Amino acid sequence: MEKEGIKRKLGQQFYLLRLLVRRNIKNQYYRSVIGILWTVLNPLLNMAVMAIVFINIFGRSGIGLDYPIYILSGNIIFGIMRSSTSGSLPCLVQQRDMLQKTKVSISLFPTANVFSSLITFLFSFIALLIVMFVRFLTKDYTFTWQIVFLVVLLPSVCLFSLGISYFLSALYVFFRDIKHIYSVILTLWTYLTPLFYSIEVLKNDFIEKAMIFNPMYHYVTYFRQLLMGIIPSWQTHLFCYGFGILSLLIGYLFLSAVRNKIAAKL
Amino acid sequence: MQTTHPQEDFLLEVKNVTMKFTKYDVRVDALKELVVRAFRSDMKREKFVCLDDVSFQIKRGEAVAVCGRNGVGKSTLLKIVSGILKPTSGSVVCNGKITPLLKLGAGFDGNATGIENIYLNAAIMGYTKKEIDAALPKILDFAELGDFIYAPIKTYSSGMLARLGFSIAVNMDSEIMLIDEILAVGDMAFQKKCYAKLDELRAKGLTFLIVSHSSSVQKLVSRAIWIEQGKVLADGPAAEVLGRYTEAMMNSPKKS
Repeated sequence: MEKEGIKRKLGQQFYLLRLLVRRNIKNQYYRSVIGILWTVLNPLLNMAVMAIVFINIFGRSGIGLDYPIYILSGNIIFGIMRSSTSGSLPCLVQQRDMLQKTKVSISLFPTANVFSSLITFLFSFIALLIVMFVRFLTKDYTFTWQIVFLVVLLPSVCLFSLGISYFLSALYVFFRDIKHIYSVILTLWTYLTPLFYSIEVLKNDFIEKAMIFNPMYHYVTYFRQLLMGIIPSWQTHLFCYGFGILSLLIGYLFLSAVRNKIAAKL
Repeated sequence: MQTTHPQEDFLLEVKNVTMKFTKYDVRVDALKELVVRAFRSDMKREKFVCLDDVSFQIKRGEAVAVCGRNGVGKSTLLKIVSGILKPTSGSVVCNGKITPLLKLGAGFDGNATGIENIYLNAAIMGYTKKEIDAALPKILDFAELGDFIYAPIKTYSSGMLARLGFSIAVNMDSEIMLIDEILAVGDMAFQKKCYAKLDELRAKGLTFLIVSHSSSVQKLVSRAIWIEQGKVLADGPAAEVLGRYTEAMMNSPKKS
């Protein structure tokens, strides 16, 4: 009896999560003519711009991967974190009606954002496959089987994004100006992560050491190693999952600590 | 937190509930403001007691009205009973499934169609897909929206939205329903239909807790609780309490 109740509750929450994710995805490209196709086109166009601008500066040597693929792979992994956290930041405040008037679990909303970012990633991954295929035809790239390790990487990126999403969505309820602070942090973070450059080119020991503390660096590196046909070392795995679990822990504890104050504060 | 309760015939028991809010002179919701004020030690705040030691019990099948002036804490009480807010002290024990109906269509998504919103709204209230599937014909029938149900709800009028929201709430199985002054919507015919539906549900044994600041709910309820200044002033048969309440409101000198 008790067990049935728990099973029903879990199934119910999962169903609600699915509806919320579907709503997010639908509203993202609502009313745009080509709709979901944007999720494929957007990273492609972005990559084209960056590749044209930076290929002569950073694309010459020392990256071990075709430059357009290098940029695109970094961007779409970073994009999971970027879109889920910046989407989650205002998500509790936007749902104030629902949170004040119904008894719904607040952690569902940031979670739904992370899942919709993951789905967006899968579409962007199609873009990457297209680029890889084109570069394969021009003999600049060869496919590797190691790409299947992506299923090991994605959960760790999601854990990491989920933690930040929990934290930010709850904090934003209390401090509305962190929206501006976070957008600056996110820009800074984008440039501090080797998305269009590689740290080897910089030839700076300090930067190379400091990069260990940038979680996104590990996720991006992991993904690129797969594309190069290398299975990442156990240290890389440790960093990816270590940061992921740590982030989730902090985010979840913070959300639980302020949970009861959120409905009153909204 | 007790899970088992000796008196099973009480569906809902509110025990010594006290709710305090921190009232800032100026609402601090920016980090900048907090830092500046902390430096100037300018954090004027006082505790504001919204509900003060409120206790009552509701039996299965009872229909109860909560009346009182604006701002005495009726809505806060309902939020506490439904579990949205946690009381500062005291406890609420509930032995049934609660449907809070504090706002019709809370969480409706403007871009989605009526049907999609039925599923979303009912899922937010805690129902599974199977349960919603089963109730869907009844909901559609009651809402009387015709083909509009397939249109995005941002094209609906406010009356239509209220009809949809109400229809979802009353057609899902629940044991206790909390209603917060939402019946003043829709046209006369629909209002009449709502009251008839509530009457029907009541006959079936559904328990109600209705908030109102007027005596218009008298026909619907058997008991009334009058709250004044965060305290229970009177608790008894509906006709008597609502009568006294109306009289007091009529005769009360205008306070500035």
